[in-house]
Amino acid sequence: MKNKTKYLYLLVLLPFLTVVILFEVIPLIMIIINSFFPDKGGSVTLENYITVFSKPLYKKAILNSVYISCVSSGIGIIIAFFGAKAAHESSGKFHNAFMRVLNMVSNFAGVPLAFAYMIMLGNSGVLLQLGKEIGLDALANYKLYTTSGLTLIYVYFQIPLSTLLLIPAFEGIRKEWQESSLLLGASSTRFWTRIGLPVLMPSILGTISVLFANALAAYATAYALLMNNYALLPINVSGMFVGDVTIRRGLGGALSVCMMLLMVIMILITNRITKRFRKGGAKA
Amino acid sequence: MKKKTTAAHIVIILIGIYLLIPLFATAVYSMFEKWTGLLPEGFSVKHYLTLFTEREFMSALFNTVIICIVPIVITILLVLLALFAVTVYFPRLEKYVQILCMIPYTIQGVILSVSILSLYAGSKGILDNRMVMLVGAYCIIILPYIYQGIRNGLNAVNMPMLLDAAEMLGASKLYGFFRVIVPNIISGITVSSLLAVGIIFGDYVLIRNITGTSFKNVQIYLFLEMKSSSTKASAVFVIIMMTTFLITALVLFLKNKEAKGRAKSAER
Repeated sequence: MKNKTKYLYLLVLLPFLTVVILFEVIPLIMIIINSFFPDKGGSVTLENYITVFSKPLYKKAILNSVYISCVSSGIGIIIAFFGAKAAHESSGKFHNAFMRVLNMVSNFAGVPLAFAYMIMLGNSGVLLQLGKEIGLDALANYKLYTTSGLTLIYVYFQIPLSTLLLIPAFEGIRKEWQESSLLLGASSTRFWTRIGLPVLMPSILGTISVLFANALAAYATAYALLMNNYALLPINVSGMFVGDVTIRRGLGGALSVCMMLLMVIMILITNRITKRFRKGGAKA
Repeated sequence: MKKKTTAAHIVIILIGIYLLIPLFATAVYSMFEKWTGLLPEGFSVKHYLTLFTEREFMSALFNTVIICIVPIVITILLVLLALFAVTVYFPRLEKYVQILCMIPYTIQGVILSVSILSLYAGSKGILDNRMVMLVGAYCIIILPYIYQGIRNGLNAVNMPMLLDAAEMLGASKLYGFFRVIVPNIISGITVSSLLAVGIIFGDYVLIRNITGTSFKNVQIYLFLEMKSSSTKASAVFVIIMMTTFLITALVLFLKNKEAKGRAKSAER
């Protein structure tokens, strides 16, 4: 009797399982399976993957995605390091105001962000006008609708996220270490390159992989700025399924799988390096 | 030591300015007739007035509110029921529920949207409905946040003991769960639902890929508007950002309150 009522409670689990299976498990499995079937019909093949890696358009999309994600994560993490260091060293009003700004703008991304940049740096943007007035040609002729313009916008949304993620890591740097290295004659730069950075490295690498994933997946920002006129993984993936074109499940699936694989590769690389740092730390 | 804090303050000010300039510039832009020279000209709030009297914008706003609330309520109920069943009756299944809840962290919105779309578009039955697909997709996207919020809440209360007590007093376990446990973890649920509101409110990719432009939320509205009138779009922008900030501020406030409450009870 008792057992029977117990299994009655599996029914309570059922709604959850239904939604998760319908909208998470099956769609993901299907997109992977579809990537191995040609769009014209036929049996299992690697044709779609060969197309992805041989057609210039898709190669370009992968390269652009990787390039923008790497550059924006790199610049983002450098600024975040100094930002988080400053947040750690400050206190009181400055610290609180900074935290508030970071938290507020951490949700500033996508269409609104692209729009704000178009207002500032678009073809008739406010800052371009300013550049003309004061005769600063580099600013007056700035081209936002390019890879570097897109990277600039990506850097913006990487900064608050990465700074917020790095700030807790600085708690691990003890004041005593800094003081004793100073007493032993090390300069502040030397302290950070020889002690501070290695200690922070696991957190920095973890943050980089979050930033990379964040940039790789960003669709709204890029689409709002450049529409479909730019080869970028998320834009090309959407293009395969949405709109007036015939849906290309196989090729779109292969592109999606490539996108997921890029994330996995990034996570594996950072995990690997993190482990090395941890090991080195244990030996010392 | 003094020199160090000054340097830190300079860095903070520089980054702060960099982060606030786009917001500030667009907000100023929205409050003037035109900004083609060095300074904006003709202060006016007419863009805001037109927006709030325009039916299309109000319906986009309404759509946004609805599409934020429905998936969150559904997801909270699903996760509550699932965690109840799992913690009370099937502890061995718990880690599978956890895995299912955390997977969406690693899949991107683009991929989730196209995989749901390609699977169900043109299929027969209720799943072909774009709104059903959209709500389902949102439920999955916010699942990790809702799960984490409820899980953390449940970890903080002694659930088996409370449920036993409720049962001894004659209540069923399910009744006890919803009348005793849930009120105890409501603050954690509120914070995670607000995070979820922030995510859905800021979403563009899922709604565009799944519903096209047939169902407009404010993000889609902004996107369409900025192609035609940048001054009006800047007013939409300001409204979107104000709402976003309000949600973030509320999350921070509730989190701080909770942390303080916890510190107090620890003191005791």
